[in-house]
Amino acid sequence: MLSDDLAGFARTIVHGESPAFRVDEGYAKYSAQVAVEVYRNNYRGNLHDALAGAYPVVKQLVGDDFFRFMARKFITQYVSRDANLHRYGAELAEWIAAFEPAKQLAYLPDVARLEWACHCAYFAHDGVVLNLNELEKVAPADYGNLVLHRHPSCHVLHSDYPIVALWQAHQPGASEDFRIDLDSGPVDALVSRNNDVVAVTELTPADAAWLLKIQAGTTLGEATAETLDHHPDFDLLRALQMLVAQNVFAGFTLGATS
Amino acid sequence: MKRPATLPLPYAAGIGLRAPHYREVLGTLPGLNWVEVHSENFFGGGAPLHTLLKVREHYPVSLHGVGMGLASSTLPDEDHLSALAHLCATVQPAAVSEHLCWNATQGMVINDLLPFPYTREALMYVANRVDRVQERLGRPLLVENLSSYLSFPHSEMSEGEFLAELSERTGCGILFDVENLYVNVRNLGVDADAFISAIPAAAVKEYHLAGYSSCDGCLVDTHDHPVYPEVWQLYEAVLRQIGPRPTLIEWDSDIPALSVLMGEATKAQQRLDALEACHAE
Repeated sequence: MLSDDLAGFARTIVHGESPAFRVDEGYAKYSAQVAVEVYRNNYRGNLHDALAGAYPVVKQLVGDDFFRFMARKFITQYVSRDANLHRYGAELAEWIAAFEPAKQLAYLPDVARLEWACHCAYFAHDGVVLNLNELEKVAPADYGNLVLHRHPSCHVLHSDYPIVALWQAHQPGASEDFRIDLDSGPVDALVSRNNDVVAVTELTPADAAWLLKIQAGTTLGEATAETLDHHPDFDLLRALQMLVAQNVFAGFTLGATS
Repeated sequence: MKRPATLPLPYAAGIGLRAPHYREVLGTLPGLNWVEVHSENFFGGGAPLHTLLKVREHYPVSLHGVGMGLASSTLPDEDHLSALAHLCATVQPAAVSEHLCWNATQGMVINDLLPFPYTREALMYVANRVDRVQERLGRPLLVENLSSYLSFPHSEMSEGEFLAELSERTGCGILFDVENLYVNVRNLGVDADAFISAIPAAAVKEYHLAGYSSCDGCLVDTHDHPVYPEVWQLYEAVLRQIGPRPTLIEWDSDIPALSVLMGEATKAQQRLDALEACHAE
């Protein structure tokens, strides 16, 4: 059966089992074992490169050798599930959090989470762009019922560490002379894509709280009222202008009037 | 957005376009006959897709997939197929191709191009999969012969015979990778002449050329070198027997300057031109 042949071949590559599938043993210049090693190396190499492509800041923070070591361990535990390599590695942040040798770098899982959000933002579908002319046609009495839709590239993340500063300090062209206080307190990071460029910016706690409610599908009126309860200084107009400029919204609907 | 009508691939030499050259190609618009890109790199939206659409305004584009796993023993990956169909509808490429290989079984995906035994059973699987892809895309697929490092004692036919029958059953075209054939000749002792004779010339729609490397005696299809003299020789033999077709220079690792790729394409073009001149006489 074809399926038996392929399953045996797959286990040989992925789990390192000795070849238990029907295959020619000897070739003119090499043995089957050499060929199996070529396939194993390709498998690991492709997954390593996919991780390195998605997590360039993590790689810089731990160095190439440690990243390779980490990737190799991760690859043995996480089999690829998608023919599109850009989808490989979503679980890395969670995995790093439990990875003993990286325990001292407490901020590393959150940096990885931020990088995965950036990676997803880069490849996200284009989505509709918020049409401000259409928005202007909404009657002021209906503003409270507006439901703003999240652009597929927009993500909000919370961290106890200065992940925005860490990320920005490790971008191509960033100055190598930086000082980051790891105890500077929690941050809310916004990942968005504007003119095809993925940006990471820091949100105020009020803006983050409001945007998370909006992302959850809460109406503008409700989200704003709830945010003002906890953050009396929340400035809706300023937040809207800033977030529209960051291309965070993909359109709107008018929620059911209650 | 401006979207030129679909052009066929010209019977000329093109290059595989990869990320390091996007900026230079769009900035200088060099005289490239056509370009080929890896389909999966453009799934989704944003910068990759928008860059490709700009390239598409100036050059015929071929979409070359590495993930469809035509011989996989799993159900077709409909998500993957939808993403490809969406990309095809957006880009309107001149050609769409995949490899004669597998990449998935029992919940595992191996992101590589893996060989399988050429049996009647496998032929049925692959033909069904090709039918499904062609139906979804609404156009014929080109299927590329594989470079292999292993062979199987229970294969019932050669790769060339397999491709010939696949093409006859499904109407798919054949992307003849000359370097892959050369690698198989050296690794597995495949008979090059028999392969060339087995595949129907009319079904061959494109050629690939690339460089390989060697690992413990095994030639590995790494696409990280210029085309070697032996592969040029085989290409010339293939041209004589099958005739001129759009020809691609592939380079995927240690990617050199664009001028180096264009130099390789010129070498292929000279051989296409020489054949033309020979026929004109």
